[in-house]
Amino acid sequence: MKKKSEKESSSEVLGKLEGLGRDMLKEIDVGEAPTFECLLRSRGNILFDESLGYIKLGEKRETRTFLNVGQAKKFMQTVAVASKCKKFLKEDSHTSIRGLFYQLKFTLGDSVDEDLFSEQSESNPLVEDLEVALDVKREDLNLNTDRKGVVAGNLVLKDKFGGATDEIDCSKQGRSGWMIPSDVDNGMDFVSVDADYVLVVEKDALWQRLNEDKFWKKENCVLITPKGQSSRGCRRLIRRLADKKLPVYCFTDCDAWGWYIYWAIKTGSMNLAYLGSDIATPEARFIGVTMRDIVDYDFLGKLTIKTKDVDLKRAEEMLTYPWITAHKEWVEELKTVLATKKKIEQDALQGPRLSFVGEYVREKLEKKNFLP
Amino acid sequence: MGGEMMEEEKEPEKEVNGSEIFKEFKEYSVVEFFKKNRQMLGFAGKVRSLTTIIHEYCTNALDATEEAHILPEIMVKVEELPDEHVKVTIQDNGPGIPPSHLGKAMGMMLAGTKFHRYMQQRGQQGIGGAGCTLFSQITTGKPTRMRSGLGDGKVYECDMKIDVKNNQPVITNQVEFMGNFRGLRVEAEFAEVKYDKSEHGVYEYLKRTAMANPHAQITLIEPTGEKHVFQRASEKIPEKPAEIQPHPLGITTGDLVDMAHRTDSRKLSSFLTNTFSRMSSAKVEELAKLVPTVNFEKHPRDLKWPEAEAVVNSVKTLKWIAPPTDALRPIGPDQIDKALKNILAPEFVSVSERRPKVFRGGIPFMVEAAIAYGGNSGRARSDEGRGGDIIRYANRVPLMFDGGSCAITEAVKNIDWKRYDIRDFDKEPVTVFANFVSVHVPYTGTGKQAITMEEEIVGEIRYAIMEVARDMQVYLRGKVREMDKETKKKIIMRYVKELSADLADLAGTGAPADIEKKLVDMIETKYEKIEGEAEEAVDEVKEVEENEKEE
Repeated sequence: MKKKSEKESSSEVLGKLEGLGRDMLKEIDVGEAPTFECLLRSRGNILFDESLGYIKLGEKRETRTFLNVGQAKKFMQTVAVASKCKKFLKEDSHTSIRGLFYQLKFTLGDSVDEDLFSEQSESNPLVEDLEVALDVKREDLNLNTDRKGVVAGNLVLKDKFGGATDEIDCSKQGRSGWMIPSDVDNGMDFVSVDADYVLVVEKDALWQRLNEDKFWKKENCVLITPKGQSSRGCRRLIRRLADKKLPVYCFTDCDAWGWYIYWAIKTGSMNLAYLGSDIATPEARFIGVTMRDIVDYDFLGKLTIKTKDVDLKRAEEMLTYPWITAHKEWVEELKTVLATKKKIEQDALQGPRLSFVGEYVREKLEKKNFLP
Repeated sequence: MGGEMMEEEKEPEKEVNGSEIFKEFKEYSVVEFFKKNRQMLGFAGKVRSLTTIIHEYCTNALDATEEAHILPEIMVKVEELPDEHVKVTIQDNGPGIPPSHLGKAMGMMLAGTKFHRYMQQRGQQGIGGAGCTLFSQITTGKPTRMRSGLGDGKVYECDMKIDVKNNQPVITNQVEFMGNFRGLRVEAEFAEVKYDKSEHGVYEYLKRTAMANPHAQITLIEPTGEKHVFQRASEKIPEKPAEIQPHPLGITTGDLVDMAHRTDSRKLSSFLTNTFSRMSSAKVEELAKLVPTVNFEKHPRDLKWPEAEAVVNSVKTLKWIAPPTDALRPIGPDQIDKALKNILAPEFVSVSERRPKVFRGGIPFMVEAAIAYGGNSGRARSDEGRGGDIIRYANRVPLMFDGGSCAITEAVKNIDWKRYDIRDFDKEPVTVFANFVSVHVPYTGTGKQAITMEEEIVGEIRYAIMEVARDMQVYLRGKVREMDKETKKKIIMRYVKELSADLADLAGTGAPADIEKKLVDMIETKYEKIEGEAEEAVDEVKEVEENEKEE
């Protein structure tokens, strides 16, 4: 997939949608069956690009044609989804993929006893097909996803939405921070970013801890929590901040799940492989918590907890990913977890005193004590 | 029980000493316990109670004929009597029960032959026949009429009740006469039961039993007088299940205490090596090291509950050789195929062939799955169509209740049926058949109607069903391929109008009517070219599945 510009303006996306329709009309005009082509999104076509450092789709393509009896319905449905998205863009209104489904759930007519769509599981993959075929994100099609993730720091944005323009200063959001929207591209502009780095903290509780300490002000960083696994919007914001040449550091629990959250931010994930470079931040580094910390910080030895089966399973799974096993430090971490069956939560760093969390992060950054 | 006694005290302020409270404390017999807790026997709800009664008699008949190597013929008759009483008559052609043993078998709780054996059999509670005798007695006050013939020219008949205080059979009206009858015939009257034709009822139970036992001929006469015969589909009598030693990993604390107290061994260590499979003296030594508080030289009878618990817990931490899998007795693909064709007359059947697997680190099990499409497959729906049906078995016994909490139901739910061209499972004529085969079936409760949703079990069942679903899909695609050209054309035509309108909107140009006319012309002239895409689509599904396995 080619590298995208920072954002697609809605007129560009409109042009792409109309282009898709016009190409089909041309085929019909010359007496050919209309077709729809896009990259395959199945596991067989997902690969890790070593030189670029993220997970993306390969080159395998599928073509849908209307005159194939097995594909006719899906073809019609694809066009219906595209046409509906065009309408949202024209009206400048947004909805969710569930909202889209309800807009398309109607019967095909009096003489046909069949619905255009009967379940959302039919329309969801077609949205992804369109994203891939047009090389846009669903946010560009005015389809929102759930918001998740919070940010604080010296970051000012301009948000054009619902006919108004607001300036958002992420340093003046008090105890709650600014909630990252599902779309941080369309109608969102960076006014100023005055920070030295980005710190991504897995857990909301630790984010609140560091926010209360005004860690981001003292350290001059942008403080983000994805609140667990990161949403599309959150990953995209991290990518955009990295594009501003800010280093990105991740701070998660010391268990396979926490590390998986880090790797999803760094290399992207298989489910979202088609977004590739848009949501991956290969420059990200990991500051902790690591198994090595148990040795380096005496008190942590007593604060470990037993792993659960899911932790061990996830660790074993991660040991099968070539992009992780390429780093011997990570292999060692994962193997230590499997051998000791222990893990540590970020929260344990509050053991000696609440403010120790900040001291820990500072020390790691000073010593450049990172994992790749 | 102590609590109940307390309530009888009328003066709460006065302190009462313990001996006074327990003055009226009495030991309850096993029979009285079950009388008060009859739902444990499956006698909860009117329809369920009747199904349980038929189940108990039927499994006895099937197990007995199997053991005697006889092709079973079972006749069940249900009659409705006044006052909402129901009379059940069931007769088999089995080996019969000698008069001297009939009392123990049908008039004494927990005295069956199966209770203490460790093998893969249908019934395992050992409360079956006698439980029904008791249920009849407590709901109608009447005895159960028994007739037994060993095939030696003599026939024995009697009335049976249970002395509930002492758990002893009470036999009256005994007669013995000359005759050629061989087998067992039971006539019993019940109240608080109801006959209906729901999916939990007797008809469905017997139909499913016939599907898992193609060597049996089962006849049902309904209260209306209507007669159903589930014909024998195979002359092959299942092999007798082998009795095997239990594997240490399948054992519970209760089992261990129970077995220790019944053994002939004189030391705990020799009891363990003699009783359990894969338990060598070296293993016992390893165990002894893990639980130093337990004296392995003492008499097994002296094994206390906490000690047994410690042993069972330590057993789980050791590595064991898996138990032999040859004690598993599947129905067999040919037999299932014959049975489903016989009962459902479907358009298509596929049966899985899978190897045994293990769960909980060492208990072998095997899943037999089959799928039937069309004909009488699926269940009748209220709107006259047919919908997907799941029929569950554990060691060929139909599981009729608690479907929602069963691993088999869960596995079916976890399958993306669209992938196999079943657009809506609840609206297609499909029967999914799954038999869980194991010496140790992990039921969810005392009712023994659902298999626990352990990951290894659900996963294996799911794969077995996916295997047969794939075959069904090839068949269904074949049907599409063979559709005449007219039908194909009609299908595509359905979508032309909507597509034309959307396409004009999307492109922002062109008139829908114009686009529609061009598409219709194209379909009219080109539809003959569409061929061969069915195989491609099946390959696509295979690829998706393979990717999923890699996950």
